[in-house]
Amino acid sequence: MSERKWLLSAFLPGAGQFLGGRRYRGGAILLLWLILVVIVAAYGQPIWWISPILIWLWNIWDAFHLQRLGREASLFLPLLAGLSVLYGIGWQITQIDLRSADMRRALQIVRPMLRPDFVQPRRELNQMWVEILVPCKENPPRAFNKLDGKTAMATPDCARVGEVVIVSVQGLWPNTDTQIWWQTPIGDPKMLGPNESQMLILPTDDNGALSATIRVPTTALVAAPDPSLALPHRVYFDQYRNVGGWELSFNGREVLKGAGVTIAMALMATVLASLFAIPISFLAARNLMGGHPVTFAIYFAVRTFLNVLRSIESLILALIFVVIVGLGPFAGVLALALHSIAALGKLYADVLESIDPGPIEAIRATGANWAQVVRYAVIPQIISPFVAFTIYRWDINVRSATIIGLVGGGGIGYLLVELIRINDMRGVSAVFITIAVIVIALDVLSARIRERLV
Amino acid sequence: MLRVEHLTKIYPNGTVALKDVSFEVPDGEFLVVIGLSGSGKSTLLRCINRLIEPTEGKIYWNDVDITAASPAQLRQIRRQIGMIFQQFNLVRRSKVITNVLAGRLGYVNPWLSLLGIWPAEERRRALAALERVGIADKAYERADALSGGQQQRVGIARALMQEPRLILADEPVASLDPVLAHSILQYLEELNKEGVTVICSLHFLDLVHRYATRVIALKQGVKVFEGKPQEIDRQRFKEIYGEEAQEVRAASL
Repeated sequence: MSERKWLLSAFLPGAGQFLGGRRYRGGAILLLWLILVVIVAAYGQPIWWISPILIWLWNIWDAFHLQRLGREASLFLPLLAGLSVLYGIGWQITQIDLRSADMRRALQIVRPMLRPDFVQPRRELNQMWVEILVPCKENPPRAFNKLDGKTAMATPDCARVGEVVIVSVQGLWPNTDTQIWWQTPIGDPKMLGPNESQMLILPTDDNGALSATIRVPTTALVAAPDPSLALPHRVYFDQYRNVGGWELSFNGREVLKGAGVTIAMALMATVLASLFAIPISFLAARNLMGGHPVTFAIYFAVRTFLNVLRSIESLILALIFVVIVGLGPFAGVLALALHSIAALGKLYADVLESIDPGPIEAIRATGANWAQVVRYAVIPQIISPFVAFTIYRWDINVRSATIIGLVGGGGIGYLLVELIRINDMRGVSAVFITIAVIVIALDVLSARIRERLV
Repeated sequence: MLRVEHLTKIYPNGTVALKDVSFEVPDGEFLVVIGLSGSGKSTLLRCINRLIEPTEGKIYWNDVDITAASPAQLRQIRRQIGMIFQQFNLVRRSKVITNVLAGRLGYVNPWLSLLGIWPAEERRRALAALERVGIADKAYERADALSGGQQQRVGIARALMQEPRLILADEPVASLDPVLAHSILQYLEELNKEGVTVICSLHFLDLVHRYATRVIALKQGVKVFEGKPQEIDRQRFKEIYGEEAQEVRAASL
């Protein structure tokens, strides 16, 4: 019987090892095997039962090995079997589905991102317009306009919604695409192309003339207070041509503005935080506060407070401050500042704890008063690391400020969310590039400055 | 004249650093304090300018009771007492000249000093002090760019700025090699000849014989010897430093 003890493992994993004197090994095998069985039973697809079965077989082999040869079997097989089943279940739980990756959709997003919307060729506008009465009244004025050597006219002089009008213009640039669009009396633009959802674009002829048949847009009177009142609407003819050089596009200007706001947010937050963190750090420095039970209690309380505060991400704080002060950069500044107070307070306190007491003693010995001791023995020791840590924090805050924008904290992050919502991927890629440039530049700059200080 | 009477220092953790120590130091003396590490030498020196508050006892400096001085009086007294440290205790990140000027803090207008403004006269004095210790050319370097011996000279220059009547030197050469030790102690000897009283703790017996005019020895906070340096022979040395102690000669003297 005793020579066959290993066979017990065939009935209960680990039993053979346990009775063979390897109690921990036997217990561990049983426990881990049971955990695996429970996991597979709870989540499993039947195929994964292979893993506990393999381990069960291995366990018999291991018990046999131990008893007959006095050696343990390699752990490679059970580890592989166990880990692969855990990974497989992880795959299932996280709902990884490679079929959902739609290449066409991905391309729709990525392709525009290759052309970031940051600058555009500088253009000049050549514009002409003519007024037309909608709806008609008696004796309408002639739909005719003459301006800077250009003429434009419409026939008939007045029309109702949906009626056809012939517009023509002369004196524009020749052979140039011309956008033709409608403007209501209150300034609403309306498109005149197919389905009124596309811009009507036609080229001028060799003489700079153009005529087109349009319909009065169905929505031309939607916002009119009294649709029966005849009011002048306008038809515009716009031509653009490059004049050489480049200029910031609309998105480009917004991105730069957002970047400025983000950097300023980080700067405000860092300065605000360091103003608070400096006095707090003195309370959190053990060497300054350890002398007396009361001061030590303050030290302990402040340290605990800083640690708790530091553990709350500034993103979470931003969500709270958005509720308190509303959307915008100020919420972001407060969130960053609060988190930075905790982070800087701890860093400053660590600096204070590491200062050399020797110079303090030496300056006291010269007959200096308390303020002079601080000025000549403490500050020279802490100023460089304090500045270095503050710059480092600013660097971190710029990165955080970008993220905080996403939840309504203003700056470039907020712009990013807006661009994603309207599916403006060219703008999104301009934001990405700008963020990368700022982060890299600041990283290099802060590293340089810190190098010189420390 | 410095008079120490029944000086006792017990640290909050119960360590008795000094026990009923009394002695007198007439003006112009070069008093060397010897004893093992932890025998109370540093505590004794720091009690004299009250960097450490004595537990009991009195210290009179020209018949003024230092132990009873108000904070303002204490600063007045401290500025006449220069102090030199084993670890130099310079502000390593500051310039040499700033470290030296700091020796003058007890004399100048405190508000201007807080702004870092020093009268031209004081700057000249600082350069002269550096000149005297032979490192005027290092005045505008950072203190930590200097070698150990140079840093200790800055420490001496800082003490010189105080126009001291008394110099306390706490193991001034223990961090330096023996050759440098002499050059540093010679400055103290020179000052001593000009009439400045020096109280200095030292490790090497050779140096004690060479520089001291009088010696006191401490053992576990108790004064165990007071007398002329010549009276310290090997037997006395062993009494002070314990049986196992071997006299380490400062090499190449």
